[in-house]
Amino acid sequence: MKKKLVSVILAASMVATMMAGCGSKAPAANENAGTENGEGTAATTDDAIANLIAATDKTVELTLWCNETDAYQTVIRELVDEFEETYSEVDFNITIGVESEANCKDDVLADVEAAADVFVFPDDQLVDLVNAGALQSIDATYTYDPAKTNAATTVEAATVNGKLYAYPLTASNGYFLFYNKNYLSEEDVASWDNLLAAAEAQGKTVGMEVSGAWYLYGFFAGAGLDMYGNEDGTNTCNWNATDTKYTGADVATAISDICANSAMVNCVNEDAQSFALNGEMIADVNGTWATTAFQEAYGDGYAAAKLPTFTVNGDQVQMGSFAGYKFVGVNAYSKNTGWAMLLAEFITNESSQTKIGIATGEGPSNLVAASSEEIASAPALAALAAQSEYASLQRVGNEYWGPAATLGQLLVEGSYTDVQQILDEAVAGITQAPQ
Amino acid sequence: MKKTMRIVVRHVILALLAFIWLIPIIWLFVTSLSAYKGINTMHFFPAEWSLDNYAQLFFRPDTVANFPAWFKNSMIIGTCSCVVSTAFVLMVSYAMSCMRFKARKPLMSFAIILGMFPGVLSMIAIYFVMKLLGLSNSLMGLVVIYSAGSGLGYLICKGFFDTIPVSLRESAKLEGASELTIFTKIVIPLSKPMIVYTVINSFLAPWMDFVMAKLMIRSKDPVDWTVAMGLFTLVQRTLVSDYFSVFCAGGIIVAIPISILFLIMQKFYVEGITGGAVKG
Amino acid sequence: MKKYFTDFGTAIAKGDIWTRLSLLVMGAGYFGRKQIMKGILMTLIEIGFFVFTIRFSLQYILKLNTLGTVQREETLDLVTLTKTVNDYDNSLLILLGGIIGILLIVAFILLYISNMKTVYRLQLMKENGEHINNFAQDLRELINGKFYVTLLTLPSIGVLLINIIPIIFMICIAFTNYDMDHQPPTYLFTWVGWSNFKTLFTSTTTITFGYVFVRVLVWTLIWALVATGTSYFGGIFLAKFINHKMTRCKKLWRSLFVVTIAIPQFVTLLLVGKLFGDYGIVNSFCNQIGLTAFLQDIGLVGKGLSYIPFLSKPGWAHVMIILINIWVGVPYQMLSATGILMNIPEDQLESARIDGANDFQIFWKITMPYILFITGPSLITAFIGNINNFNVIYLLTSDYVTTNMAFANSNAKEVDLLVTWLFTLTNDYSNYKMASVIGICVFIICATITLLSFTRMIAGNREEEFQ
Repeated sequence: MKKKLVSVILAASMVATMMAGCGSKAPAANENAGTENGEGTAATTDDAIANLIAATDKTVELTLWCNETDAYQTVIRELVDEFEETYSEVDFNITIGVESEANCKDDVLADVEAAADVFVFPDDQLVDLVNAGALQSIDATYTYDPAKTNAATTVEAATVNGKLYAYPLTASNGYFLFYNKNYLSEEDVASWDNLLAAAEAQGKTVGMEVSGAWYLYGFFAGAGLDMYGNEDGTNTCNWNATDTKYTGADVATAISDICANSAMVNCVNEDAQSFALNGEMIADVNGTWATTAFQEAYGDGYAAAKLPTFTVNGDQVQMGSFAGYKFVGVNAYSKNTGWAMLLAEFITNESSQTKIGIATGEGPSNLVAASSEEIASAPALAALAAQSEYASLQRVGNEYWGPAATLGQLLVEGSYTDVQQILDEAVAGITQAPQ
Repeated sequence: MKKTMRIVVRHVILALLAFIWLIPIIWLFVTSLSAYKGINTMHFFPAEWSLDNYAQLFFRPDTVANFPAWFKNSMIIGTCSCVVSTAFVLMVSYAMSCMRFKARKPLMSFAIILGMFPGVLSMIAIYFVMKLLGLSNSLMGLVVIYSAGSGLGYLICKGFFDTIPVSLRESAKLEGASELTIFTKIVIPLSKPMIVYTVINSFLAPWMDFVMAKLMIRSKDPVDWTVAMGLFTLVQRTLVSDYFSVFCAGGIIVAIPISILFLIMQKFYVEGITGGAVKG
Repeated sequence: MKKYFTDFGTAIAKGDIWTRLSLLVMGAGYFGRKQIMKGILMTLIEIGFFVFTIRFSLQYILKLNTLGTVQREETLDLVTLTKTVNDYDNSLLILLGGIIGILLIVAFILLYISNMKTVYRLQLMKENGEHINNFAQDLRELINGKFYVTLLTLPSIGVLLINIIPIIFMICIAFTNYDMDHQPPTYLFTWVGWSNFKTLFTSTTTITFGYVFVRVLVWTLIWALVATGTSYFGGIFLAKFINHKMTRCKKLWRSLFVVTIAIPQFVTLLLVGKLFGDYGIVNSFCNQIGLTAFLQDIGLVGKGLSYIPFLSKPGWAHVMIILINIWVGVPYQMLSATGILMNIPEDQLESARIDGANDFQIFWKITMPYILFITGPSLITAFIGNINNFNVIYLLTSDYVTTNMAFANSNAKEVDLLVTWLFTLTNDYSNYKMASVIGICVFIICATITLLSFTRMIAGNREEEFQ
């Protein structure tokens, strides 16, 4: 009790001195809002860390959840060790947990009090996590300013209602095309028509999980149709539109046409990797998580490109995609919020992002790290960069996934009679209010 | 001649059936010996053979797969919960079968009705009860979950106790034995098959269950997981292409102790089930 | 029931000072009869109860009507990096703590009333000069006449913890708005009455719960019936086949089948799921031998597919799941049927044979009725078990994508059982309120089926016949 009192007094006096130090400026400088903070800033952040160190007298227990692959775990372990060295005055006990990012939201929300203090999650889970109050808003940063160092799109994606809720970590969680250049030329991979024709001629296949709602979006978005989440958790979607340049039915028919090609295989990631390995599949729409597998499978033929164009009503239309990012979030229920925030800052700073990028093949969100020679030259990341101008932010309400996957499956099989009707039904499902 | 034909046909059918039943097991086994870590979708047998998966399982625990720790955890949970469960089942069965008291029939009906509530649904509530008790995220908590409700599964065992002649107990009572003595000295020694049956069943639970375990163990540190949880994690989307054959090896390793247990106990097990089933 | 309370009234009306003092201090009645230990114990229980209720559960019980009103608010001091959080309400804890508190109060009232009656009986015994047990004698009674109390205490506490409290909790959830948007601890949920039940029975274009519920229910019942039936009869036939006098090496054959039980179910199921996957080995094989093309020609496989959708299309998946379940279930049934077959009274079979019955007749006229008679109850248990069979469906159909928009809109699949559906709702969509409603429906269905068939078993006094 006594200790607590002391620290409160200490804090109060700190505030007082700082008030005196930098005039009437509020000490709680919100740096990431982009305001120029002037000279007072450095003192504020240094003092805050000093305060935190002074107020910490016990071992700090922190948990960190990140991707389960060995590459990730190893590099994060190194970074955590570095973090502990940086603040060597304090005793840390940091546990690194193995968590598939796709399940992060479910696991955090099942019991947020038992979840990790710091966790890595994909951007599409941000809104749900914020809505559930699981994320600590980042009202100030202490070692670097994520808003300035990271690509603007990633910061925008991590912001809800003008507040930053997570530290951007990677900018490479989207999808693009892997291909084997021993079989396919750059011209071939420019459009679905050429791609499939080339594959068919050589008796090989091309893969994409068209029945996956996440990938299916690319076709409709490319053709200029809208699908996005609203603030109340519902979605806005006009995939059944009949008055747009390309109608929903046009796009749907185009997708069905692509899938009707015998060289086209609708398959999930692990099947695609296995097909690529046995030499059957020479191109696949996938993401950086599959980089190693495709490198291994294609050997010196390994290459990557932006998504191909596809034919709608006789026109070539560039496919869109979801731009995917990975964020580091701080649990709002963490018992050591201060240290959790500093740890999150540490693993998302420039040098950490560079190390993670090199170790895992993912593209950093930090601009300097992303432009470093070793990272920018990777084919997968170059392909992603090329795709990025057609990619859109993934802000999607929960009701999207089920109906969209079903729509995709129907289009893959071509087992429908009235394309407008299935689009209407899908849109009704996608836009329904959450039950 | 005709008879030999019939015997041959009979054995051919049996062999065919056994073959169908064993195909997945054989696949499990050969895949566990595959040098390729992912799923082989083209060929039944691996292209290259290797014992590496087993070596990885035992000697190279990495950041995801820590089989020795899982095995140890499951062993601890299995042992503890089978002791508690067996005790509970025997206690409830004795009370319900050999004693007469006012609340007996209502309690029995109540137990049957309770057993019908879908367990999947109350899982999340169980989790919060455990959390309230401070037992979530611990092996102890899992032991409680697997064994605390075991009293409800008394029916088969009670059926078995019903078949123990009343005269045995009566005469013991005449000689001044207490109910406790009758329970420990007469009834329990007579119900070996039943005990074996209960022990096997409750020992297996932590090796088989991954849903409850995943919910209860919030820790993402593989050291804290059970075998079922761990193996299930290995076949999740992101990992399956690197760990599928390791998963198979794990399945085989878990199966070895269990099959030995089964084969040795086969006789008891059969008696155990039927002894109870006679009375239901 | 009435007698219960009149006895209580009598105790108060006719009790002496010690008995009446027990109204206040529960142990008083025992002190008056020199049962000091028992008196202390009773008083301790009473004190314990009040301390627990006041210190712990009262705060929750008082808030039960609203499930809390103060939402969580936090402020992070950016200079000290310390966080202050207001004293917020957690609806989930309130509900859980409230339920526990109320259960305890009910238990205490029951104990209180029966305590009064016991104390009064002691008074009467004392007046009549009967022997009153001392503490050691009471303890001895616990391993003798009242041994069942000793036996049942711990298991009952366990069941209370693991079954009863969670069930009451989940039933309550069905009447709240606990879902994605009302998740504790950040947000509060509250009572909404019967509206979730109404949603379940509504069918519009977007709210398809009503339609899906009926479809899923029908499949659940069909599945439970067929799955139970096939593996039951399959097991008996297999056991009979192996036990036949012409079969050599019975034990070896039996062991071959038992090996499949030894591998954890989730491993084999995941494995079989991969075998029959859209691009699994079986499909590669069928493709090579041209079976896929043949099935396409006769229209069993859709034209748009390059594989046989063993586990990914309604119809195909339904049949495959049942076949795979036979694979899983038959060895178990075989084991137990073997035991039963060995116990068939030989004399009956012998006399039938003398009467000139052939094997077939013997099987249907004697063996089957006997087995049915013995396994009837366990058959019903198996049926209920299959209604709640989570593993088989969940593990085999994780890659299944529905093509029926109505199912998709309710987050369900054609192959879902009610339990897997409610698992998806809670796990992926945090829709606890609807999951609870479905859970209650499952419970009602199972309870009805069981009560209809089990009453005979519980009500009848068959157990004495056998002893």
